[in-house]
Amino acid sequence: MLEIKNLHARIAEDGTEILRGVNLTVKPGEVVAIMGPNGSGKSTLSYVLSGRDDYEVTEGDILLNGESILEMDPAERASAGVFLAFQYPMEIPGVATMEFLKVAMNSQRKARGEEELKVPEFIKRVRTAAEELSMDMNMLKRPLNVGFSGGEKKRAEILQMKLLEPNLCVLDETDSGLDIDALRIVAEGVNALRSPDRAIVVITHYQRLLDYIVPDTVHVLYKGRVVKSGGKELAQELEKTGYAEIIGEAA
Amino acid sequence: MAAVQETIDTVRTLDVDQYKYGFETLIESDKAPKGLNEDIIRFISAKKDEPEWMLEWRLGAYRRWLTMEEPTWARVEYPKIDFQDLHYFAAPKGITGPTSLDEVDPELLKTYEKLGIPLREQEILAGVQKPASDEPSDNVYASGRVAVDAVFDSVSVVTTFREELAKAGVIFCSISEAIREYPELVQKYLGSVVPVSDNYYATLNSAVFTDGSFVFVPKGVRCPMELSTYFRINEKNTGQFERTLIIAEEGAYVSYLEGCTAPQRDENQLHAAVVELIALDDAEIKYSTVQNWYPGDAEGKGGIYNFVTKRGDCRGKNSKISWTQVETGSAITWKYPSCILRGDNSVGEFYSIAVSNGYQQIDSGTKMIHLGKNTSSRIISKGISAGNSNNTYRGQVSIHRKAEGARNFTNCDSLLIGDQCGAHTVPYIEAKNASAKVEHEATTSKISEDQKFYVMQRGIPEEEAIALIVNGFVKDVIQELPMEFAVEAQKLISISLEGSVG
Amino acid sequence: MNIQTQIKRTAAEELLLDAFAAHGEALPGDSSVKAQRKAAAELIGRGLPTRRVESWHYTDLRRLLSNVAAFTQGQGAAAEAALLDGSTVLSVVGGKASASANVDGLTVASLVNGLADGKLAERLTLAGTDDTVGAINSAFVADGYAVDIAAGAEIAHPVELQNVHAGGQVHTRFVVNAGEGAKAVIVERQTGTGSALVSSVSELDVGEGAEILWIIVQDQPVEADHLAQFKARITANAKLTLFVMNSGAKLARQEVRVRMEGEHSQFHLRGVNLLAGDAHSDITMVLDHLAPDTYSTETIRNIVTGRADGVFQGMIRVAQKAQKTDAKMACNTLLLTDEGSFSTKPELEIFADDVVCGHGATVTEIEKAHLFYLMARGIEEKSARGLLVKAFLAEVIEELENEQAIEVLEDKLNRWFEAHA
Repeated sequence: MLEIKNLHARIAEDGTEILRGVNLTVKPGEVVAIMGPNGSGKSTLSYVLSGRDDYEVTEGDILLNGESILEMDPAERASAGVFLAFQYPMEIPGVATMEFLKVAMNSQRKARGEEELKVPEFIKRVRTAAEELSMDMNMLKRPLNVGFSGGEKKRAEILQMKLLEPNLCVLDETDSGLDIDALRIVAEGVNALRSPDRAIVVITHYQRLLDYIVPDTVHVLYKGRVVKSGGKELAQELEKTGYAEIIGEAA
Repeated sequence: MAAVQETIDTVRTLDVDQYKYGFETLIESDKAPKGLNEDIIRFISAKKDEPEWMLEWRLGAYRRWLTMEEPTWARVEYPKIDFQDLHYFAAPKGITGPTSLDEVDPELLKTYEKLGIPLREQEILAGVQKPASDEPSDNVYASGRVAVDAVFDSVSVVTTFREELAKAGVIFCSISEAIREYPELVQKYLGSVVPVSDNYYATLNSAVFTDGSFVFVPKGVRCPMELSTYFRINEKNTGQFERTLIIAEEGAYVSYLEGCTAPQRDENQLHAAVVELIALDDAEIKYSTVQNWYPGDAEGKGGIYNFVTKRGDCRGKNSKISWTQVETGSAITWKYPSCILRGDNSVGEFYSIAVSNGYQQIDSGTKMIHLGKNTSSRIISKGISAGNSNNTYRGQVSIHRKAEGARNFTNCDSLLIGDQCGAHTVPYIEAKNASAKVEHEATTSKISEDQKFYVMQRGIPEEEAIALIVNGFVKDVIQELPMEFAVEAQKLISISLEGSVG
Repeated sequence: MNIQTQIKRTAAEELLLDAFAAHGEALPGDSSVKAQRKAAAELIGRGLPTRRVESWHYTDLRRLLSNVAAFTQGQGAAAEAALLDGSTVLSVVGGKASASANVDGLTVASLVNGLADGKLAERLTLAGTDDTVGAINSAFVADGYAVDIAAGAEIAHPVELQNVHAGGQVHTRFVVNAGEGAKAVIVERQTGTGSALVSSVSELDVGEGAEILWIIVQDQPVEADHLAQFKARITANAKLTLFVMNSGAKLARQEVRVRMEGEHSQFHLRGVNLLAGDAHSDITMVLDHLAPDTYSTETIRNIVTGRADGVFQGMIRVAQKAQKTDAKMACNTLLLTDEGSFSTKPELEIFADDVVCGHGATVTEIEKAHLFYLMARGIEEKSARGLLVKAFLAEVIEELENEQAIEVLEDKLNRWFEAHA
């Protein structure tokens, strides 16, 4: 599904190189965890995958279902199935969450040559998804993310993920700022989305989230490269020994 | 936000020029010869069958105008206007004022239909114009809840729902008719808010105004429907000088909408209107404008010069006047809808969205003049500049000595799209009373890259993402518009910004 | 532009032109300086600005400058003790500069020489047809100082530039050049006794990476008309903080014209306006952000008592290339009387898109909740109000990065309150 080949990327403004040759393959149905200490390039990887223009890819390629997405803008990548759950979801004043969801869903449908959703069908889908995430529909009448608590924002991200039905979900530090109850609800939401034709990439600093979203594969990112890969037990090992040891091995 | 999606669809079907009202109606017309002199003014007055006092008033204004100089303080640039090179009167042939619909040229009715404004009451009521789908109509004029005064070049061609309004005691007619039918009211109020000598364009208007609307809502009456005027400039080289006068007596309420369009032409056309509002004790007037005059083409050629004087007088205690405007059209906009807060506890409001793109120049804002005790005013202005345009907010808040307890809150935000445009903020704040409280805040910034990325990450293309964020930015003002107008306004904003993404 | 059609000259205009006709020739200057003086006098001849000239909208100079002090010098003017301990004092007393300094890194010359040999001619050029303060100064400037701060010099003690008079007309100019990386604190004192017309222009060049704190203290007598201009150019990585305390004069106009020409430059303006009696006091700032990544903040606090009229006009202009400009301005006024007034015009003129600019302006009474809180603690209303008003101003003073200056200025503030409360 996703192939990242020797990916090098830098900050467009000052040329600082962040990713220094990332190689990674994610198969359909796979849940992959990307772990690493602060500053290892985890968030950058999520931004580069989704096409943020603050970063420049200087070498390598990203293939989604065999095709390069490097030339696509963020909206095109989203329509191709890439979904990023943001670590810090943006507040957008004046834009009601419901309106936003509708425009986003229909834009993607249109880009894929599908019919627009009729209003009743749209509302039905949102209501069902919101219930599953224990979200109050009234919240969705409010401007997008404005005045939402940290937990509400993360839940709203997962709600969007459910509704947009991406085939590659990238979760950037989704556990940050969540208490244990919220974490459980969010994780259940993600688990419900596991399917044979969808891949999920969970970016996290801690093992905690992985107790709830159990990965098939774990990669450790350090200084812009994958320095170690393994099964879910690698995450547990990290929890015990910390990053220092693995980093030491790599160096 | 269906409107946004729809807007993009609409835009895609349009040619390079997105102005969808740019067609011309081929219709014979009576025109006064070009030029401005006392004879032309006599001609206009005679065409309108005006009483002698009105002619004298016009001539007085004209003589005054000859001694005045064109103002230059606004941040707008344009070649000198040759006032002798204009027609000051043009009317569809045979029409000098509103007649029954049967007598109106079918071409004319078609024009209004094309603009989305059905003028046949029975059709509106029968819902002929309503779209077949269940989605709520975004055409305010077809909703059956709005009475329309349709002004075509220099004359009012039709005023709808007059009889129904008359039952409530509300007078809604063209100003020309009012001068003939209700001379005492006109003489009492005309020029009492915007004096003849007020400013260059208002004085010119006083001399040559051709038509416009007159509204009188008597004591204690709440006007049963929205009133509206739809202005259309059709003729070439013609200035449109409309005059609107709205009076709300004690405890009355009226909501009034104004819309305007013009054909696409290479040359510039002049529109110099005067609007006067008078609110007596406990009365409220709500005046909304969606201004969509032809803005000129992508190179800045053509477009309407919109030099407008709008002022409301909160003459009575507890009165309220509220201006809401959505300005997307015109090559040049020079417009400051204002409130004189004379009555104690009176309230003035100004909500504005001004969008400029291409080579448009906007210099607009408001004046809140606090004279009475405990008067309050609120100004919310949202400016959006794109392309090579310049967009200026110019506003004055003045608290006079005796305005004990006066309050003002002003918020003006400007958004820049692209680096070839300008956004300017020029507030004048004057306080002469120690108990006054004036708060003003202004910001200027560009569309946040973070927000844009977030929206695009959800699959919404860039141009639509910008429209979405801009519509959020202007939400506070949109909310002040009547609902159907709000939908129209959002669409208009998106269309105006089309092509602003490089 | 604002073209005025002049009908009849006012007494002040006549007096200024007569003075130029009678004394202009005797003022220092070579032919190029004389040509500049003549051009300036011609501008005055076209009439003093009225409120129809946009930049003078709230200070109708033609009406306010009703008379002009005689073109003579009052007797008995003397240099003042320095405001800050240890300062190097450079006084212009009754229009004459005679001090010198022996401080490492400082080069001081009297301005007379620069005028006589024409070196300063270029500087007498006017900024536009509304540059009336510049015109009066250029026409009549007689003396002042040119101060050079050597590159890299960190001047340990403040330099105090004094313009002291005992009535009459005084037209002074200070030209300061701070070299690359230089650091200094400069105090500009504008004071005197008796009826006077004072014009004073200060020009400052801030070299790359230099850091200057400039404090203007204006406490002219109530009979004086004070027209002043502060002009600065800030180059890359340099920082200028300008503090203005206005507490005197019948008519005071302090213009601030700053050009941020270098990347990563900073400008901070802090102003305290104390208005009493029949004073009319105006601070008018035009700030140009001309380079990318420039940062400015402006805070002006005003107190109006008596029948005084206060004005603040602050225009921030951001040029197209000045991307990533960050500019914030605030003007807050406590209007303590119904006889007085305050008018403010904070302006933004922005041609770059990637900016964060904003301004706020308020005119209010003392916060009732604060007043209640203090009174609830047993402080009687009058002192509670006094405390809050003082706090409102002291807040700005306390932002200064100079302990001694804070102390001295707060002391001045207290004395002003004792005299006017």
